[in-house]
This record gives sequence, C-alpha cells and structure tokens, in this order.
Amino acid sequence: MTRLAPQDGIAIVTGAGSGLGRALALDLARRGFTVVGIGRRRDALEETQARAPDRVFPLVLDVSDAAAVRDAFATLRQRHGRIALLINNAAIYPHRDILDETGESFMESVAINLGGVVNCSRAALGDMCETGHGRILNVSTFADLSPLPTASAYSVSKGAARIFTRALIADLGDRFPGIVIGDWMPGMLRTDMGIPDGLAPEQAARWGVELALRLDPALTGAVFECDTEVLPPRGLKGRIRDMLLLRRRRPRRLS
Amino acid sequence: MSHAASATHWDAIVIGTGIGGGTAGRALAEAGMRVLFLEMGGAGHRAERNGLSDTPLPEARLVRGLWPEPLEVTLDGRQRRFHAPLGAGVGGSSVFYAATLERPSRHDLDDLPDQPHPTGGWPVGYDAMRDWFDRAAVLYRLRGSPDPLSPEPAGPLLPPPPPSAVDTALMAAFRTNGLHPYLAHTAIERIGGCLNCLGTKCPNRCKMDGRSAGVEPALATGNATLVTRARVTRLLGAADRVTGVEARIGDETHRFTARHVVLAGGALGSPNLLLASVSEHWPEGAANGSGLVGRNLMFHLNEIFALWPHRGTPDSGPSKAIALRDLCLRDGARFGMVQAMGIRASYGEIVHYLGLMLARSRVAGVPGLRPLTRIPAAVAARLFGHAQIFVGLMEDLPYPGNRVLHDPARPERLAVSYDIHPELQARRKAFRRAIAHAFRGQRRMFLGLGPELNFGHPSGTLRFGHDPAQSVLDPDCRSHQLRNLWVADASFMPSSMGVNPSLTIAANALRVADAITKDPA
Repeated sequence: MTRLAPQDGIAIVTGAGSGLGRALALDLARRGFTVVGIGRRRDALEETQARAPDRVFPLVLDVSDAAAVRDAFATLRQRHGRIALLINNAAIYPHRDILDETGESFMESVAINLGGVVNCSRAALGDMCETGHGRILNVSTFADLSPLPTASAYSVSKGAARIFTRALIADLGDRFPGIVIGDWMPGMLRTDMGIPDGLAPEQAARWGVELALRLDPALTGAVFECDTEVLPPRGLKGRIRDMLLLRRRRPRRLS
Repeated sequence: MSHAASATHWDAIVIGTGIGGGTAGRALAEAGMRVLFLEMGGAGHRAERNGLSDTPLPEARLVRGLWPEPLEVTLDGRQRRFHAPLGAGVGGSSVFYAATLERPSRHDLDDLPDQPHPTGGWPVGYDAMRDWFDRAAVLYRLRGSPDPLSPEPAGPLLPPPPPSAVDTALMAAFRTNGLHPYLAHTAIERIGGCLNCLGTKCPNRCKMDGRSAGVEPALATGNATLVTRARVTRLLGAADRVTGVEARIGDETHRFTARHVVLAGGALGSPNLLLASVSEHWPEGAANGSGLVGRNLMFHLNEIFALWPHRGTPDSGPSKAIALRDLCLRDGARFGMVQAMGIRASYGEIVHYLGLMLARSRVAGVPGLRPLTRIPAAVAARLFGHAQIFVGLMEDLPYPGNRVLHDPARPERLAVSYDIHPELQARRKAFRRAIAHAFRGQRRMFLGLGPELNFGHPSGTLRFGHDPAQSVLDPDCRSHQLRNLWVADASFMPSSMGVNPSLTIAANALRVADAITKDPA
C-alpha cells in the first residue's frame, strides 16, 4: 500500500467549514473519499457539504474539547468505518498584541492550534495502530521561526504543533512505520486567514491532498512547502559527509 | 488490593513469555492445564514492527518490548553498560530474532568416542531429544533443506522458499570450494505480503516466535491467562517447594500460587530471580544447593565477515538463506556453523559496522581513527559492489567464573562477569583461519577486530545434570531441591552448541511441559 484509496477508510479534515479546509475536503471527495468535515459552525460545514452532498459529512465539534473529540471519533467510526486519513487543518489566528492578550485568551489559541492536533491525532491513532496503516498530515507554518508582532499565540501554538509532529514520530515511527506522519506548509493563501493576493486554496489543496494520499513511510517526518519538500538544514560536517558518501539530497516534489 | 489472577490456584505459572516460556505454556494449556503467564513487559500492539534500539528511557523501552535497563558487563575486568539485544514483552527476545532454528549436531549434545564433549555429554542425549526437535520443528513451521553433512534424519522440514540469484551463485561458489551449503532452517511462514521481519517484530503471524507460536495459541485454548507488566521479584517457599510467586504490578505487590512454577525469564533473568529469592529456607537463593545458580554463563562468539559474490552475479538483495556446517569441528576444536545474516552491505553500512567495531576495540580512544574506516570501505565498495554479510557462530565453553552477578541492593539489575579465556582466544584465531581457508579464492573481509560476544545468545546459567552437586536442574529440568520448580529457557544448557539455540530451547520447553503434565504431584 503506497497510496491511500477510498476503500482503505475515511478521511477527516478539521476546519472544513472554510478556506483551505473546505478545499481539502472537496478535493478528497472528488477523488471518491468519504470525508468527515469537522468545524464549529454548522452553517459553514453545511455549505461545504452542499458542494459534495454524497461524500462530505459535517461534524460540528470543537477540536479543543478532548472528551468531545474522543466521543465524536468513536461515533463516526461506527457510522462511516475506520479512519485512514486525518488532516489537522483547523486553526485560529487572532491578530492581537501581547498587551491585549490575557493568559486565558492566549491559551484559547493554544487549545485549538495545539490541543486540537493532539486531541484529533490521539483519537485517530486508535484505528491506525490497530491496522498499522494510516496518514496524519498537519497543516503547518513557519510562523514560529520569527514571530510577527500580534502573532504571539499563533506562532507559539503552531510552533508547538510542529514539535508535536516530531514527538509523535519519536513515539510511533519505529513501531508503526505504516502510519505516515508529516507537516505541510500550504503557502500564503487567499483565505480569511491568509492574504488578499495569495494562492487560490483549491490550488494548494491539490498539493495537500496529493501529499496526504502518499502512504510512503519515507515521507514520515518530511516537511513540504506548497509542492516541494523543505530539506532539513545541514551543518558543515553533514555536508562534508554527504560529499564523501556521494549523497546529494534532492527535495521531493508533489507535481 | 489483590489481583484477579491471585484468587486462582493455577496448575502452572510460567514466568516469562519468550520462546521457552511461550512454548512450554502453550503445551501445558493444550494439555488442559490452567496456565498463568507472568510477563514483565507489556502486551504491545500486534501491528508494531519495531526492532531493537538504544532508546534510553526505560518506559520507552518497555513499550517497544525491549529490556528496560542496560546490561552491566564486566568483561576481562573492564566495566561496560549497554542495551543488550534482550526483549521484555510478549514473546520476549524471540519477537526480534531472525527465526533461524537450527537443529544441533550430534556432537553438540553427545560425548562421542572421536569427538569428546566438554561436559561429558548432556544428561539427555541427541537420540532422546530427537523427537522433541521434530515436534518443535512442526510447531514452528520450519522451512529449509537438509544439511548434506549430517548423517541424521533432517526431521520435518517444509519446503524452503526458492533461493535468490545471489544465494544460488554463492552456494555454487561454496561447493566449488568443497563446502556443503544448505538452505537455513527458518521459522517464517512467508505468507503473502511477508515483510521478512528479521530483527523486527512481525505484525502478521508469519514469523513463528514465542508470541505467535507460544502465547497466542496458548490463549486461544481458553486455558491460559496472560498478565503483562508483572515484574516477578522473588519466589517464596519452604525447603523443597515453591509456594508462591511474588510480582510487582504497577505500584502493588501481588502473590500468585500454582502447583508448578515454570521459570523462563532467560539465561540472565532466571538465575537473577533465583538469587533474589534468598530466604531463611534458601540462604543461597532458591534452588541453589549446588552454588552454581548463575554460573557457567556462555555466549556465542560472532565472527562476522563480508563476502562478495563473483562478478556478474545479479544483485537480488540480502541473503538470509545460506548455512553450512563444514567448520563445526576441525582438528578436534569446536567451532560452529556459518550462516548468512540477512544483511547486504553497501559502502555506508560497512562504514557504520567498522565504526561500531572500532568503538568497542582497544583503540577506541584514539581520536581520528573512525573516519579512516571509510577508506577501506570505500575502496571495497568501488571494487566489489554489494557484499553479503556472514557470521560464524562459535561455541563458547562453560567456566564457573563467567556468571550472572546479583546485587541485593539493586535486585532487578542484570549484570554479568565474563572473562575471555586464553583457550577461547586461541580457538577464535583458529576459527578465523578456518573461515579464511574455507572461503579462499573468494573476496572477503573480516569485520571484527576482537572477540565479539553474542549477548543475544546467553545460556548455561542453570545447567541440567544428574549430580545435584554439579548441576542446578535434574535431567527433566526440574530443580534438584524444589520439586515443583521447572526451567524452560536457555539456562538449562550445559554447553552452548555450535548452532543457534532457539530450536533447542523450544524443543526442551516441550519436553519440560510433557514432564510436568506427567508429574503425579
């Protein structure tokens, strides 16, 4: 199994009510997958569903609520079958100066942007560890590298989510090589969270879905930006070793 | 709080679920006995595929089925701590093995007129063991071809998978050298989608090990119960019987009772537990009337070498298929069998291997040496392409001074003291010469700098024998003193043999289980 197919199980996309999440859900539906679209706003999810009524199933759920996520995943497993793919896409990006944040407001972002990834991944892993196969793709960002002003909660929580990806791999990578886990940076998008002259979310979603359907264990831990792999930085020693061993790493591409 | 399993008086408690405990427990359960397995590690997830690793945190090791703590080895007086290839989980170390189950040769067990045995021969000889080897071969679904050098019947062997192009070419080259290769005996079903789990857990019930051929079929009978994360801390009892097994589960200590106790914690863990069971009745530890508990520890010596197939051989991946016994006995010296390791080494792999060797050697402290290993490896890779890695498994002999050390202050620590005797050094040199001679004319490279002990093959620490003063167990592998204590792991072996120990452990476990079911008490 090197590529996920609809008969392997259902796909879950969080934050499926708008922007990139909606585009990801619809792209997966177009390829024949049963997609459970998770979000907090019923009307927005239903709008996504209206564009692929046979394949997209809305699930109103706050991903920051651990118990609710656990229960909801158990129910949807009974209703739709085992979970083969989870795309952790839901996030909030409040533009708020640190002097306008409170501890509570800050942690609210953390609860969604980090807690949502933890809760949904943990719930989906039950099925995946049973069969040894599955795919978790975390929609990510480089915001943690040099946080912009008014982006403290976003940068910290999304950065922590990247660490969580690596921690998941540390715990599971050797035991379940068939569960492929990685980060994807979609790029600057023309969405509510993005910029007006950004990329169409449908274009980014094609890359994201292509990456999500690749079940190659060698992709675990790989970071992709748009349609190209971002190679980890190599120190001088590493580069010399690559030269000596005649290894030159080339980034993998999706298109 | 008492554990649910402590309310039952079991027919048998099996301590440890490796190839010995798993196999014995299965036979007991299939004979209708009510069996309790106590396993120190966790149950794990059946889909897991990890291998051995050096991950340091004990909890992370237990989750992976690895022994949680490092082994402390005093080797020729020098202390080292490292993670040995030991399992702690359902199936024990066997879930990580390469499933090579080789039948010993007659001289491995028997004292023969022209081939004297170092211990005078096992109390249960080759002919008495033969039937149990056959039964274990069936249980483990052994595949392979008969050893052409053996005058004995090969026993029930299923057809081996067809040899690859590399195997065929190497075997032809070996025969030209006058050697007698055969297809190694492996316990892998090779079902569709076989992942070839050499060194890793098999998610598919395809590799037969202490879990898939032991504990799981035992549980399927409905007669067996498995308690995991139960660390047995001591045996309780009076003069001639074990009356209870004490185990820590979580933060609580529980006591379990049974008519029979089958000890199968491995050749390091089992003697350590007996030594930890010091009491008023057992001042030297349980079952230690001979003072030999933990002594006569043996490992195999690995003599690893790379062999390059002749030019023009198609590269069809690593070979794990070839074995040969031409070098088991040479000029009266006991060596051992040679087999493919299932590793195909490229440049990078040989660099890594030589690096590891160097790190363990006497010149380990010399800076700047390690990068130098790249030069011969690079030259070799350029000249020869991919090498196949072979290992000569040399028999170790029993010395009472080589032993498991028990420290009451750290009762759960595994520690051994081992001296490499001059006899072993000399025999190793002769073995290397014999290998070089046997494979003359073929491109080869020894990958070891010094004697390398195989810490995954410990044995001998509770040897069986007729004389209670000279052995821990009687010929049925029952303690000379404690008449309801039996041992079903590699500890019983009085000599380490020149073959992989797994088939012998499994066969003996079946024999022990049979003796238990026939015991009138």
